[in-house]
Amino acid sequence: MPTMNRRVALLALGLGAAAPTGAQMAPMTPRDSALHVLNRLAYGSTPGLADRIAREGVLRWVDRQLGVDRADDPGLKDVLAQFDLLQSRPEDLLRSYLLVQMERRQEKRDAAADSMMSPDERLRRLPPEARELRALGAELPQLVVVRATESDRQLAEIMADFWTNHFNIFVGKNLDRVYLPSFIEETLRPRILGKFEDLLIATAKSPAMMVYLDNAESVAPGSQPPVPDRMARERMRGFARGRGGRPGFFPPMPFPRGGAVRPPANQRGATGLNENYARELMELHTVGVDGGYTQKDVTEVARILTGWSVERPIQGGGFVFNDWAHDRGRKTVLGVEFPAGHGQDEGMKLLKLLAEHPSTMHYVSGKLCARFVNDTPPDGCIDDAVMAWKRSGGDLREVVRAIVRSPDFWAAENRASKVKTPLEFVVSAVRAVGGVPDSTPRLAGAVARLGQPLYQHVAPNGYGEQQEDWVNSGALLNRMNFAVQLAANRLPGVQVNLDLVLPLASEREALVAAVDRLILGGRMSAQTRKVILDQLADVNDPVQARALAVGLALGGPEFQRQ
Amino acid sequence: MSISRRVFVRGGALGLVSFGLDPLFLGRAAYAAGASGSSRLGAAKGRTLVCLFQRGAVDGLSMIVPHGEEQYYRERPRIAIPLEAVVDLDGHFGLHPQLAPLKPFWDAGALAAVPAVGSPDTTRSHFDAQDYMESGTPGVKSTGDGWANRYCQHAHDREHADTPFRAVAFGPQLPRILAGSAPSLAIDDLRAFGVRARPDAADKLTRAFEALYQGSATGLLATSAEESFEAIRMLKTANPSVLAAEHGAEYPRGRLGQSLQQIAQLIKSDLGLEIAFADMSGWDTHVNQGSDQGQLALRLTELGASLAAFATDLGERMRDVCVLTMSEFGRTVRENGTGGTDHGHGTAMLVLGGTVNGRRIAGRWPGLDPAARYEGRDVAVTTDFRDLFGEILTRHLGARDLSAVFPGYPSAPDRFPGVIRA
Repeated sequence: MPTMNRRVALLALGLGAAAPTGAQMAPMTPRDSALHVLNRLAYGSTPGLADRIAREGVLRWVDRQLGVDRADDPGLKDVLAQFDLLQSRPEDLLRSYLLVQMERRQEKRDAAADSMMSPDERLRRLPPEARELRALGAELPQLVVVRATESDRQLAEIMADFWTNHFNIFVGKNLDRVYLPSFIEETLRPRILGKFEDLLIATAKSPAMMVYLDNAESVAPGSQPPVPDRMARERMRGFARGRGGRPGFFPPMPFPRGGAVRPPANQRGATGLNENYARELMELHTVGVDGGYTQKDVTEVARILTGWSVERPIQGGGFVFNDWAHDRGRKTVLGVEFPAGHGQDEGMKLLKLLAEHPSTMHYVSGKLCARFVNDTPPDGCIDDAVMAWKRSGGDLREVVRAIVRSPDFWAAENRASKVKTPLEFVVSAVRAVGGVPDSTPRLAGAVARLGQPLYQHVAPNGYGEQQEDWVNSGALLNRMNFAVQLAANRLPGVQVNLDLVLPLASEREALVAAVDRLILGGRMSAQTRKVILDQLADVNDPVQARALAVGLALGGPEFQRQ
Repeated sequence: MSISRRVFVRGGALGLVSFGLDPLFLGRAAYAAGASGSSRLGAAKGRTLVCLFQRGAVDGLSMIVPHGEEQYYRERPRIAIPLEAVVDLDGHFGLHPQLAPLKPFWDAGALAAVPAVGSPDTTRSHFDAQDYMESGTPGVKSTGDGWANRYCQHAHDREHADTPFRAVAFGPQLPRILAGSAPSLAIDDLRAFGVRARPDAADKLTRAFEALYQGSATGLLATSAEESFEAIRMLKTANPSVLAAEHGAEYPRGRLGQSLQQIAQLIKSDLGLEIAFADMSGWDTHVNQGSDQGQLALRLTELGASLAAFATDLGERMRDVCVLTMSEFGRTVRENGTGGTDHGHGTAMLVLGGTVNGRRIAGRWPGLDPAARYEGRDVAVTTDFRDLFGEILTRHLGARDLSAVFPGYPSAPDRFPGVIRA
């Protein structure tokens, strides 16, 4: 697109006037622009929000969303206070967890003869700490849904979701069910719009990532822990024998089921390198699979990160650098030499190298553009993002700003071009009808049933951003059923009162027009309008008619797009 | 115990003969295989593969018991299956007594077991190992789709072009094994698949959504919606849910029995089902796994009864069906201090069906001698799971090229364990 068009378009947006009709550009009113940013930089509109943003000025709203100092909306204080998880310190979680493990061990011995015990009975017999932990675990995904629905800092929640997937952690891996809350609250959320380098380093040092991608187990070949450590290890042995977890489904199960109080291998006598984190660090977190690294680079990165581990659970379970486990030899990564004789400092040097690498700028910018612009992001917006990355030293705020200011972001062919993920669909539907989720895990359960159980993506690549990841026949039917239930206020876990947002109408045409405005931003196709009107023809009860119209609009094809 | 078992087994075998499973369905299957010769696709017409994942790593040594090995009893003083309880198969291996309902199928030549199969990757993490077994790329975590989906992507044929039921997973979500660009359905419960509303309103609502998607959807949304409504229509016409179990088959209560019954209903309805998937958990028996009775035995009861009911129910149709059990890895040869077993390496998988080269222990058995074990503790893997899965895809379903299904793993029929009649 020519530069002039772009400047004119932005000027128009800033002033809140109608954008010009370029040769390839559909007419775009300020309200259209507001709806577009709400679809991409937020979880959709709430009743009246698009109009308010159109009046305020779309770019002013964007700047305000980008300018937040911290992720959490102060206005949500009371809502978030219902989540005990946010009041629990990581050490407390770990302590309860260890306690539960020990009690369970005893309980299992007691119940040995009673292997016929039903699952319900087993659950009842759980110690109170176990039930408590289970409840806290169930809060994790619900917290995502509640924040996404209710926070005014919408872009912050979108970014939190983006980084949660970029640095995916599977909740079912060993102690990660205990580490995940602090990973989200303390590692990711304070840095969602900060410097990429800080974010990368914070994740690299997080116990959650160490455990998830096994770096905690990676030691220089032949290295041995000092004698006192080994003695402690012996003492731990009886109590800490590994027990693997079955992936997924953790809310319906006793919380610690299959989880392992499993000290990292370097405390069990591991013998060598584990390349898992090294590989994913390059392939998924930084330079990308085509970033120009070799297997040799992976091994060298693993060597540099030997010794980066976590403390034993009973010592607090935090990050620790074990000097004894570190490979002090010379290494070379991506052509950069790491001289012999260094310790933890060379890991920091490595992370900075990776964070600033041109391949990283392109790879991460490309992912951001796939999220904000198009499943197949145009080169133009990636270039804009990379320029901003270079200029700002990886300041994510500036990178996202550049994407939003890129003409590709506003191009007609990219509007409504993306299919919502289950999380985006559920949250945007609830927001559209002014629904209020409660703090039970039921709405998060709906997201899971649509195919996106949060924090339960097993592989480190996180949930996908492509429509192929989400659109399949069974899933679409589930979306329709969800929409119908939500519109009738029959969806467990959320309160919907249509009286507040959609007055009853005796005239069917008027009802459909109001539904169009509330849910589809006034862009309902003629065909959709006709189908809904046909359906309403023999429905005489105005309450039923309204619920049906809303259900069809939410479950129909237009609302699946953003 | 052993008397009632013998009676039961005999009753089962008689039952089979009485409704013509043996020798009829086997005879016909053999004939079909012989007649079609090298024309694989012809042989594969109407075939179904049912994958059953035992999540949590099943103790293969308790499913297919190497009762002929002293070492087995030495290593497992508390949890070994007593010799007198084992259902002997070939003098060396035997079935867990709770799998006795499968013995008639062994005798009829429709059941094979691979006792030392697994992944070349040595992880003992459940989630990594399950991921690898479903992605079909052990050691490579970035693979986006599952091997069963890749099979559907690359094996185009007219028979399955028009059916949304080609690949169906029973469960609330599409499992990794079927994730990918080829259409596949996740069905939690066949009876509830569709647009849900009051019975009098459901049809109307379904038609309304169909009209909406026909009129206003584009791209993938449009094609997927079309498949959904086609699936609903086909289900409505075929109405598989009303098909009762036949030949006196009784499915046990529980998720697995229900899933297998619904898979059988889909097969009987001729909806073009080619790959079905179901899973079952509770195999992670670190503590008190039990022997011929106990925790593991309970799970095996459900497994054995479900599989036997499935094969019995399908009867004659079983000649075109192959059921494959799989699990991410096996468990330690030696029992642990809490009467259970810890994460191991090789495990056992079962293959059941009319095309199966049955009555046969397939793949090389490495033995339990400590020197022959993996890291001295686990059953060694002598059959790469891709060779087993690949053989079934090739010889049962008629896949011609596995290079895209198991990328980076050159297919070699001489490595196939020989579970399907070539």
